[in-house]
Order: sequence, then structure tokens, then C-alpha cells
Amino acid sequence: MTDLQWGRLSNDAFNVALFAYVAGMVSYFAYMAFRRDAIWKVARALAFVGLGANLLAVIGRAFAAHRVPWGNMYEYSILLALLIVAGYLFIVEGHYRVRTLGGFALMFAVFTMAIAVSFLYVDPLPLVPALNSYWIKIHVVAAIAGSSLFALGGGVLTILFLIQDRRERRQLSSSVASGLPPIMGGSIDMDAPPDYSPDADEPAAPIRDERGGLLPPAATLDRMAYRVIAFAFPIWTFAVIAGAIWAQKAWGRYWGWDPKETWSFITWTIYAGYLHARSTSGWKGRPAAVIALVGFVSLLITYYAVNLWIVGLHSYKGF
Amino acid sequence: MSQTRVTLRQSLALVWRTLRSMRTALILLLLLASASVVGSLVPQWPNSPERVLRYQLDHPLVGALYDRLGLFDVFGSWWFVLITVLLFVSLVACLVPRTRAAFRALRQRPVQAREIDAFRLYEERVVPADPSSVIDGSRHVLRKRLFRVARDGEGRTALAAEKGMLREVGSLLFHWAFLLIVIGVIYGKGTGFTGKAVVVEGKTWVDAQANYDGEIRTGRFFDGNFSGVGIHLRGFEDTYRRTGQPMDFVSHVDLLDPQGSLVKQADIRVNHPASIDGLDIYQYGFGWAPVVEVRQDGELIASEPITFVQDTAPPGVPQLAMPWHGVLKLTSLDPQVGITFELWPDSRAFLQLQQTGQPIPMVQAFQPFMRFSVYRGDLADPSPLSLETAGLRRGARGIVGGGQTVDLKTGRPVAGDSAGSLTMSFPELRQYSVLQVSRDRGVPLVLLAAILVLLGLLPALYTSRRKVWVRAEADGSGTVLKVGGFALQRKSQFDGEFAKLVDAMARATEKPAGEGRSEDPP
Repeated sequence: MTDLQWGRLSNDAFNVALFAYVAGMVSYFAYMAFRRDAIWKVARALAFVGLGANLLAVIGRAFAAHRVPWGNMYEYSILLALLIVAGYLFIVEGHYRVRTLGGFALMFAVFTMAIAVSFLYVDPLPLVPALNSYWIKIHVVAAIAGSSLFALGGGVLTILFLIQDRRERRQLSSSVASGLPPIMGGSIDMDAPPDYSPDADEPAAPIRDERGGLLPPAATLDRMAYRVIAFAFPIWTFAVIAGAIWAQKAWGRYWGWDPKETWSFITWTIYAGYLHARSTSGWKGRPAAVIALVGFVSLLITYYAVNLWIVGLHSYKGF
Repeated sequence: MSQTRVTLRQSLALVWRTLRSMRTALILLLLLASASVVGSLVPQWPNSPERVLRYQLDHPLVGALYDRLGLFDVFGSWWFVLITVLLFVSLVACLVPRTRAAFRALRQRPVQAREIDAFRLYEERVVPADPSSVIDGSRHVLRKRLFRVARDGEGRTALAAEKGMLREVGSLLFHWAFLLIVIGVIYGKGTGFTGKAVVVEGKTWVDAQANYDGEIRTGRFFDGNFSGVGIHLRGFEDTYRRTGQPMDFVSHVDLLDPQGSLVKQADIRVNHPASIDGLDIYQYGFGWAPVVEVRQDGELIASEPITFVQDTAPPGVPQLAMPWHGVLKLTSLDPQVGITFELWPDSRAFLQLQQTGQPIPMVQAFQPFMRFSVYRGDLADPSPLSLETAGLRRGARGIVGGGQTVDLKTGRPVAGDSAGSLTMSFPELRQYSVLQVSRDRGVPLVLLAAILVLLGLLPALYTSRRKVWVRAEADGSGTVLKVGGFALQRKSQFDGEFAKLVDAMARATEKPAGEGRSEDPP
């Protein structure tokens, strides 16, 4: 196949992936609402089709440009989407057996890919000398892997935790307001039918993921967010270190407060703060989650704003 | 008097306690992040002085305020340093007692528990063996799983075991390594320097203070000694793809010792620096350096290559489409003569621009030519790159092509020299390479510290401390094996591990101790 054909194949695969992700996203949300296993199977199948096409889009770029497929923002973005969806399918759904969050993870991937194709597209080209180093293989892969995991943990899971936590608090306060439960001396209306709806369950007891409200319980979301962020943190640390080693080779200094360096440091600092906050009394739960969310915003700035708008050595929109 | 001293001590203790708290460290950490945000949004002097100057011109009032607050050099400002110092004081204040406690805990043997059935996890098994062999078997199982095990000191058939000290050790290593990074940075940047060397093809540059182009950034503790090492540029190549995208920039150099003899040859590329004698040499930039010869009465009075520079291209114009500018100053003549040049390395680009108005990048030399203007008078401005023409008489203007000779009085081409003539020829167009030369002795230390950060981080995040206690009590012909335990982190994961541990201990003692050991795979 010629370079041109590979490039075209990559673009076609991209479209298939985007379409499959959108359809998968809708199906996952439908599953969240109706809880039919069949819908989940369709959603999962669509997500896997999207993942396969996404992988093909990445590989196509590699063959079209004869280099690693992460040389510009468009390619970073499709790789980021790939890793987010893979992270969701294998960690959240595979390991934690939580099925209700697929819509959110796919939504993130869809946004990333839509931004990539609308604003960041460039034809596959070889690397400019400044990027042509074997460190690009190490640094960029670590940075994108770390970013996708932070997006999953600090973004998707943390936002859902905050929503669910708020709901559970409301329920708790309303159940306290409605009086004591019968076992503690409250009254009970014998004529009323027993309330088995998901909203009536007691917030203190652990709720099974697939039975409770639309979302897993807040404690589960919080734990998952922590695990994913704790997984991402050393990867991000490594990415920053690898970037510094590369900077030493390319620019003669390992650290120069270039905007990209500065923002990756800010993101690192915020997530370091999150990890400490989570083991400090008084900062657990919501305050720590807010820090994680701030870290997610910082990650978005590190990823998008620095490359596109802030002038620096990393502002290689296109090449 | 004593009253105030007590309160002073109390307040100092309060400051110390506050500094040691995690809350303070967290706030300082987030403050550091906020300060960095400012540093990335306001243009920074060390990164882009020209943007700072433009900002100050555009916003004089705000610019003056920012300047006063140090916002144009956030990372060198006193308040950024203050936050960093406070953070590290807080860090050390936390680390010293923790490190001491960790050493104590590592030396100490696991402590026996009084009642083991009160722990989160507790199981009992009846095993057909005597208590002492049950304890032997359990001890073996625990040690095999890298628990630290202590027998009961009071003669009871009991064990105390723990695992996962690596978590605390890793966490301490991670945090101490940051101190090492700071030491490496201060040492390396403090004793080091960085500067730019401009070397024309065929020329040799020597590492000495006067030979650097522009400012040399030296550290606070720089000893002022330059190495005297030489860089001889054999040739420079810049290659491009058909699209105009740059492909490679390479300087072929000979690296010479201070006596001028060859140490080694090297090809310096972007991403591939060379190093000699603790100096690191990086490819930074390049440009054109036409050789200009001036003859008075046929006698050569100037024959050096001149380094030319470009103006920054306006938006939409490729940088390499811009012409190059240079200056030649003949101060030995009376009146003194200054010549300004505009070089078009590729004359096809010039023609195309004239015809179509379309600027195209000049990526290689093709029939180069220079437009020049001659000025006469006292050359007050000593700069080799610019000529202050105010107060000078303007003389001839003209064009000189590669290999041509022109008369500087008329600006017209001439064939050769004659008596009383002042001629200029353009025999050769060379390139020059801009190399960044820096020395940073702290790099290996910082790299080591960064590796330690990572090495410490992994166990600090992923291992957990677990404690297990074992009792064996005689019960008729057999023994009741009682096991209690808990994990400080990753509690739910420990449930499964604990169950397996109890199974293994029960199994290990179902047979005589000797056989039980061989049962486990090696």
C-alpha cells in the first residue's frame, strides 16, 4: 500500500471509530436507563468495534508517515481517545465490573476525536528535526497514557463521584427528616406497599453496583477514581522525567519553565496534592475530589491550551 | 520577662507545628502550582525577553506593576523562592521524625498482640499436630511470603509477623529525593553557564568569555574559568523535504583541546549534542556568512566571512523567504567606510517575488547576490551587526553577484583592480552554525534523584502494610491454630490474601514439619 492509501485508510478508520463511539455512547446511556443486558452487550460490542477502528486509525498514520503515530496534536488526540476507551473497557468494566459508566468514557473519547478532526487535522508528515528523537517514543507514550488515565480518574469518575455524593447526602438528610425508621421506634404505615425502588435504599449500607441508582455508590466511585489516579501518577511522573531528559538532549537544559513544562508540573503538583489530601483527615471525600477536578482542568490546559495558544517550545500545532 | 519568653517559645512551637502539618504542606504545594500558573500566562524574561519588552511597551502601567511584583520572572522571584523554601522546610520537618520512626520500626521485631481474636480478620483451624510444629510450619509459610516474623519471647507458642515496610521506605525515599533534586539543581545551575557560539564554516571557535555571542548566563557560583576548548566547523548542512519541511540540521565539527590538537570529530544535530571536557554543545541555529573581500589599490584590506541575520518574518511568510542582512565596517580607511548588505541566497526566489509577489523559502544557495549601500564618515557604533547611518554620507549603491567584483565608488562591476581603486568582491557564500554551549555538572545528580523519585513512588503507592499474629494452643490430640490480622491499606484486597495465608499455614502443619516444607514449590 502507498503512503496515500495508508493515510486514507487511517481517515476512514477514524470515521468508523467516531461513529461507533457515538453509537456506543448512546447505547451505554440507554443501558444505564433501562438496565437490559442486551443493550449492554450491543453497547460493549460497539465500543470494541470503535476501539478496533481507532487502533487501525493510529496504525494507518504510522505507515503513512513512516514514524511513530504521535507526531502532532491530531495524532495525540486519536491515541488519547484510544487509551481512554481501552482504559474504561479493561479497567472499569473489566476489573471493577462497573458497566454504567461507559457512556461517560465514550463521551470523552467522542469529544476528543471531534476536536481532533475539526481543529487539529494535518496530513501525515514526517517529523521535524526537533521532534525526531527516540525519546518521542517514550515521553509521548507516557504522557498520553498518563493523560488518558487522569482524564478517566480525575475527570469522568470524579465528576460522577461528586454528583452521586451530593445525591446520597440529599437522600440521607431527607431520610433523617422523614423520621426514625420503625426499628428505632418510628411509626410504619402497614397499608402502604413496601418501597423497593432504588431510591429508597439506605445510604450507609454498601449498594451493589448493578442494583442501586443509575450510578454506582459514591464510595465505589471515589475508590475507583483514587485507584486510577494512583495508577496514572507514576506514569505522569515518568513522562515528566522523560521529557526533562529529552529537553536536556534537545535544548541543553532539562528544565526551563517552558509553558508545557510549567503546566505538566502544575498538573503533577495538583495530583500530588490530591494523593496527600486523600490520606489527610478533613480533606477526604469532597475536598480531595475537588482537587482532582482542578487537576483535570489543569490537564486539559496542559494538553490543549499550551499547544495551541500559549507561545512556547511545545506550540507545534501541525508540525 | 519570663512570661514573654514562654510565649515566644510557645509561638515558635506553634509555627513549627503548623509547618509540620500536612495541611500546610498541601496549601504550600497548591500555592506553588498557582504561582506557576502566573508564570505560564505572563511572558517570562528568561524565556522570551522580546515578548516582555513588547508587553511593557503595550501596557506601560500594568507592565511596571508586574515588573515590581516580579511577575516577569516568576520562577526567579523572591516569593516563588520563599514558597519553595517553606515547602521544603515543611517537608524536612515531616520527614525527619518519620525517617527516625521508620528506622526504629525496621530494627524492632514485630510486637506480640495480647488478644488476637479482636482483629478485623480472625480465623481458627484445628490441625492434627502439636503446637510447636504448627508454629514452625506457620513461621515457614510467613517467611516464605516475605513477612518479618518474631517468636513470642515469653515461651508461648505464638508468632507476630508484619510485611510492607517498603511502603514507608518508598514514601520516604520519594520525598527525600526531592531534596536531592534541589541540591542538584542549585549545584549544577549555580556552578554552570550557558551561552551561544557562532562558528562559520572553515573557522574555529575557542571557548573564552569574549568569544560568546551575546549574553552568557552564568550561575551564582560560576568560577569564571572557561575551558579554552576549540570547535572547528568543517561544514554545516541543512536539508529539507520537497514540501519545505525541515529534515535535518547538522554541524560537522572537530573538537580541539586548548592546545589546538584534535580530540574527536562529531556531528552535532538537533537532539544529538556533543560533549567535550564537561561542555555540552547543541545545534541551535544557522545562517549565511558571505565572504567579502575589499581591496585598496589591489591590496587586500578585508577578507572575512560576515555573519548575516534575518528580520522576523511577518505572519504568513516563511522565515526562510526573508532576505539576510549584514554589515562590513572598514575603520582603517579615511574617511571610514561602512557597507550594508542585503543577501538573497537564492536569486530565483527574488525573481519570483518580483514577478508574482509570492515569497518562497530559500533553502539552498543558487546564484546568490547581494544588494549593498556604501556609507562614509565616522563610524561611532561599534556593533558588528548594525550600522548607524545617521550622520554618514551615503555613497554608491549596487548589486554584487557571487564571484563578481564591484567598484565601491561607482557601485558598478569591474574586471580587476587599478591604482587608487577601492573594490569589493564576493568570492564565496558560506554558512555559519549557532551552537549552544553549556555546562551543568548537576545533571547526573538530578537524574539520579529523578530515578529515586520513581523508585520510591511505586512501593509508596502500591504496597500495603499488613500485620498477622498466630497462636497455637493444644486441644486434645491436635492443635487449635488461631490467626488474626489486618492491613493498614488496601484492606479489601488483604481479605483474600489472609484466607490463603491461613489455608497455607493449616496445610503446612498437617504433615510433620520436615515434609510440609518440601510441599511448597521452591
